[in-house]
Amino acid sequence: MESIQSPAKAPHSPSWYGGAIIVAALLHGAIRVFSRTTLLHNARRIEYRIRQDLYARLLALDLSYFNRERTGDLLSRFSNDLTNVRMLVGFGALNIINTAIVYLSALFLMARISPLLTLLAVIPFPMMIFVVKRISAAMFRRSKRAQEELARLTSAVEENVSAAAVVKAYCREEASIEAFAAVSRRYMASNMRMAQLRGLMIPVMAATGALGTLIVLVIGGQKVVAGLLTLGDFVAFNGYLAMLIWPTIILGWILNLMQRGAASMSRLNEVLLAEPGVTEPADPVTPARIAGMIELRRLSFSYGETPLLREISLVIPPGSRLGIVGPIGAGKSTLVRLIPRLFPVADATLFIDGTDINRLPLRTLRDAIGFVPQESFLFSRTVGENIAFGKGGADSGEIGAAARLASLDGDVARFPDGFGTMVGERGITLSGGQKQRTAIARALVKDPPILILDDPLSAVDAGTEEEILASLSGFYGSRTVIIVSHRLSALRGCDTIVYLEGGRIVEQGSNEELLARGGRYAALHREQQLRREMEEI
Amino acid sequence: MHFQGIYEDEIVGKAYDRRLLWRFAGYLRPYLHLVGTVLCILPLTTAAKLAQPWLIKQAIDNHIVTGDLAGLPAIALYFLLLILAESLLSFLEVWLLQYLGQRVMQDIRLELFSHVQRLSASFFDRTPTGSLVTRLTSDVEVLGEMFAAGIITVVGDVLLLAGIVGVMLWMNLHLSLVTFAVLPVLFWITFTFRRRMRGAFRQVRARLATLNTFLSESIGGMAIVQLFTRQREEMAEFTRLNGSYRDANMPVITWDAALYAAVETLSSVAVGLLVWYGSGEILAGTLTFGALVAFIQYIEKFFAPIRDLSAKYSVMQGAMAALERLFNLLDCNEVLAEGVPAPSPRPSPTGGEGEVSAYSGADDKKFPPPLTGGGKGEGERDIPFIRFTDVWFAYNGDDYVLKGFSLELRRGEKVALVGETGGGKTTVTRLLSRLYDVQRGGIELDGTDLRQIPLAGLRRRIGIVLQDPYLFTGTVEDNICLGDEGVRPRGRQAAALVGADRFIERLEKGYGEEVRERGNNFSVGERQLISFARAVAFDPEILVLDEATASVDTESERLIQEGLRGLMAGRTTLVVAHRLSTIRDADRIVVIHRGEKVEEGGHEELIAREGVYFRLYQLQFRG
Repeated sequence: MESIQSPAKAPHSPSWYGGAIIVAALLHGAIRVFSRTTLLHNARRIEYRIRQDLYARLLALDLSYFNRERTGDLLSRFSNDLTNVRMLVGFGALNIINTAIVYLSALFLMARISPLLTLLAVIPFPMMIFVVKRISAAMFRRSKRAQEELARLTSAVEENVSAAAVVKAYCREEASIEAFAAVSRRYMASNMRMAQLRGLMIPVMAATGALGTLIVLVIGGQKVVAGLLTLGDFVAFNGYLAMLIWPTIILGWILNLMQRGAASMSRLNEVLLAEPGVTEPADPVTPARIAGMIELRRLSFSYGETPLLREISLVIPPGSRLGIVGPIGAGKSTLVRLIPRLFPVADATLFIDGTDINRLPLRTLRDAIGFVPQESFLFSRTVGENIAFGKGGADSGEIGAAARLASLDGDVARFPDGFGTMVGERGITLSGGQKQRTAIARALVKDPPILILDDPLSAVDAGTEEEILASLSGFYGSRTVIIVSHRLSALRGCDTIVYLEGGRIVEQGSNEELLARGGRYAALHREQQLRREMEEI
Repeated sequence: MHFQGIYEDEIVGKAYDRRLLWRFAGYLRPYLHLVGTVLCILPLTTAAKLAQPWLIKQAIDNHIVTGDLAGLPAIALYFLLLILAESLLSFLEVWLLQYLGQRVMQDIRLELFSHVQRLSASFFDRTPTGSLVTRLTSDVEVLGEMFAAGIITVVGDVLLLAGIVGVMLWMNLHLSLVTFAVLPVLFWITFTFRRRMRGAFRQVRARLATLNTFLSESIGGMAIVQLFTRQREEMAEFTRLNGSYRDANMPVITWDAALYAAVETLSSVAVGLLVWYGSGEILAGTLTFGALVAFIQYIEKFFAPIRDLSAKYSVMQGAMAALERLFNLLDCNEVLAEGVPAPSPRPSPTGGEGEVSAYSGADDKKFPPPLTGGGKGEGERDIPFIRFTDVWFAYNGDDYVLKGFSLELRRGEKVALVGETGGGKTTVTRLLSRLYDVQRGGIELDGTDLRQIPLAGLRRRIGIVLQDPYLFTGTVEDNICLGDEGVRPRGRQAAALVGADRFIERLEKGYGEEVRERGNNFSVGERQLISFARAVAFDPEILVLDEATASVDTESERLIQEGLRGLMAGRTTLVVAHRLSTIRDADRIVVIHRGEKVEEGGHEELIAREGVYFRLYQLQFRG
C-alpha cells in the first residue's frame, strides 16, 4: 500500500508484492495439503487404535458384562461415539492449530502497526469466550444425552431386526413401529436441543469478528485523519483483522466438536475402563496336562442381588460322568458356565486337578473344556468353519470325524456345498437340531479332556438323541463328562447324578441310589417312567 | 483365518446424483413452508454480508481519505445494525435447517423401519442384522449432517457468490475480470476431484457396514468366542476389517485435503492478482483506496463459501452414498403380496359340520373374553379348517424342503406332525403363518388361499410358539402381551394356564420384572414358558406349536400339557411333536419324511402298519 501511495519510498514495486503474495500462496497451499493430510490420516489411525482397544476389551470382558449391556448400545459406541472422537482429534486438532497460528501471526503483525488499535480490536474476543464457554458447558450435557438416545435407537433397531419372526408371527408390526417412533422422536428432541446451541454459536463468533472491524474502522479512521496512522497501515490492519474472521467462526464449530468429542470419549471410556471380572491369574500354574478332576468347594454365585448357587460342594473324579437335573431356574446352566470361568468365580471354590481354576491360565482352562451351550450360537460362516471354530487349523479329516460323532454327517451330505455351505444370515437356515449338532461337533473337534453338555439335545427328537448319545459314549472314553438335561434318558450311564433346586444340591448319588432313596429324583423318574408306560399301552 | 470375504458388502450401482437428490427432495414436501422461510432468510443474510465491505469502502473513500469525520459515526451505526441483523438471521437459518433436517431424518427413519417390518422372512434370513442397523442409524445420521452442513445453505452460498460477482463487476469491471481469471481453474479442480472422491466414498461406507456386521455378530457370540479361546483369531479378523476400513478412508482424506488447499491457494492468488493489477489502477487514478480494500474483503467472502463448499462436498458425497443405500433398501420389494379378501370363500366338503365363516378382517381383534374353557364361550366363533395341497417349497434355489406335501386339518382337529429332524416339519408351520410363500401348490384357510387373506388378519388368527423363544427388553408382562392393550387383561390368566405363573410370581417384581436383551436373565425353559403364555394370551383360532416343550422340565411340561389340553378344544391345532403324550392327544398323526407325507392316521393304526411311524416310534418315543 505504501508503494502505491508513494512509489519512490518503497523498496519494491507494487507488482513485486503481488507476485510475492502469489508465491507465498502456492507455498502455503503445499503446506496445507501436507498438514491436513497428515493430521486427518492420523485421526483415522487413532480411530483405528481406539476401535482395536475397544474390541480387545470386549474380548476380555466376562459374560456378566454382556448380560448387562445392550448390543445396540455397544454398537453405537463403536460407530457414533468413535466418529465424534475422530472428528475431535482430526478436524478439531487441525483447526485448533490453524486458528492458533493465524491468531498469533495476525496479532503480532497488527501489534507492530499499532499496539493500541490491536488491543481495542480484540476487546470483543474475551467477551465471546465467556459466552461460548457457557454455551459449550450446556452443549456437553445435551450432547451426551443425544448420544444416549441414539444408542437407545440403535438397540431398538437391533432388537426388532433380530426378532423379525416373532414380530411377524404376532402381527406386532404396527406396535413396534409405534414404539420405534417414540424412541426416534425422543432422539430428535434431544438433537433439537443441541441445534439451538449450535445455532447460537456461529452468529456469536461472526458478530465478534465484525465488531472488531467496526472498532478499527472508527478508531483507526480517526487516527488516519489525525495523521497518526498511514493509510497503508490502516488497510493492512483491516486485512489482518479480516484474516481472523474465518478462524473465529471455525472456533465455534471446534468448540462444538470438542464438547461432542469429550462426551463421546467418556462413553468410550466406560467400555475401555470396564473391569473384566475374569482375568488371567497373577501367578499362573500351568499343568502339563489336565486329567479332568473337578472339585467344587462351597461354591456360591450370585447375579446382582440374586443368589443363583449356594455353597455347592462336589467332587467329579477324572473320567467320570456327572448328570445334573432339576427344575427350571435351579442354577444348572450357571453351574456349568462357571467351570470355564465365563462368569467370575471366587478363589478357592473351584478346582481342576487340585489347582484353583483362578490360577490356571484362561487358555489352558478353556482349551481343556469342550462346551456345548444350551443355545447353539453359530456364526455366519461355513458349516466347516463353524465346526473348526473349536480348534484353529483343524483339517477336513478332523472336521468330518467330529461331524460323524455328532451325527451331523448325514445332514451335511445333503447341504448344497457340504461343509462349505454358509450358515445363517447369508446362507442356509439350519433346523434347531442341526444347529445343536453343529455345536456338539464344534466342541468335540477340540478333543478336550472335559466335556460339558448343557441340555444339548433339547431340539432333536428322541431318535436322534439316541443316535448321538450312542455315538458320543464311544467318544467319552477317559474324559470327564458333565451333562445337564431334563430328560433322564440322556443321563443313562452317568456315574453320579445331582439334583439341583434353588441353587443347592438336594440329592446326589448314582441312579440306583437316588431311586432307592425315593426322593425328588425318584419322583421325577417315576413320572417319566409312568408317562412312557402310558405311551406303551 | 479368512472367512471368504462373506462380510464384504458388494459395491453396486452407479453415480446418479441427480436422480437420488430429486427423490430425496420429495421428503421435503411436507416442510415446504420451512424451506420457504429459509429461502426468504437467505437473500437477507446475503445482503447483510454484501453491504459490509461496501460500507467500509464508503468510510475510507468519503471520510477517512478526505479527512471528513462527521459522517463516520453514522456509517458505524449502520455497520453495527448489519452485524446484528446478520447474527439474528443466521441463528434462525441454522436452527430452521436443523429442525428441517431432524424432521426429514425422522420421516426417513420411520419409513425405513416400517418398510423393513413389511419385508418377508426370507429377507431377514439373507440380510445381516448389523447392516440393517447401519442403514437405520449411521446412514440416516449422514443425512442429518447433510442438513447441518447445509444442502440448502448451498443455495445461500450461490446467492452470495452471485451477489459478490455482481457488486464487484459494478464497482470495477477490469479489476473484477482479472480477479475472476482464477475461476475456471477453480471449477475444473472442484469438478475433477469431486468425481474421484465418489467411488472412494462408496467403498468407505461398504467397508464400514462390513465392520459393523462382524462386530454385532461377534458381540452376540462372545460366550462362544471365549469358550473356544478364539479371541486371538477374532481379533485378527477384526484387525483386518478395521484396517481395511481405515485404509479406505485415506485416499478420501488426501483428495479432500488437496481440494481444500487448492481452493485456499487460489483465493490467495486472487488477492495477489488484485494487489498487482489494482495498484496500477490506483496509480492511474481509476480505482479508489476504499474500493481496493472492499475488493479484498469481497474476495475473502467469495472464497469462504467455496472453501466451505469443498467440505460440503465431502458431506454431500457421504450423503449420496448413504442415500443410494437407503433407497436400495426402500426399493427392496421382498414383500409377500398383501392378500385381497376373496368375495365368498367356497365351502369345502371336508369342512364338516358348521357353516363356513366369511373372513372378517379387522374385526378379528375381538376375542372371546374367557380363556379357561377354550373358545366355546357365547362368542361362538367358527373353528377354521386348513388344507395344504401339493405344496413345494425351497429356501434356496431348487433345494426343496417340501415336495408335493398335502395335509388337511379339519375344524377343531389336532394334528401331530412327526418325522426326522430336517424333514420339513418347521417349514410347514412357517408356511401356515405365511412367513414364506409356497413355490407351487397352495394352502387354504376355510377354503380361501392364504395369499388372498390380509396378512395381519391371517396371523392374528394363528398363535405360534416358535422353536427359539425370543424375549424382548421390557417387562415379563410386556413380553406376554407384546404391547397389545387388548390382550393385557388376559396376560396373567394365560401365564397361569401354562404354569408360568409359578416362577413369575417368585420373581422380585413378578410380572413387572425387567427382561434384559434377548431375555438373557431368564433360563431357556423360563423363556419358553413365557413365549407359550404369549401364544395363549392372544387366544388364536389356530394353534401352532413347534417343539414347544423341548427345554422345559418334566413338572413344567406336565403343567403345559394340562393347560394345552383345555386350550386346544375349540381350536384347530398343528403340533410339531416330539413327545408321545402330545401325539396321543392328537386326533391324527401325519408322518413327514424328506419333505413328503408318507403316512397318516391314528397311533394304533400307524403302529399296526409297521411303516415309517413304527420305526420312528421305536426310535424316538421309547428312549
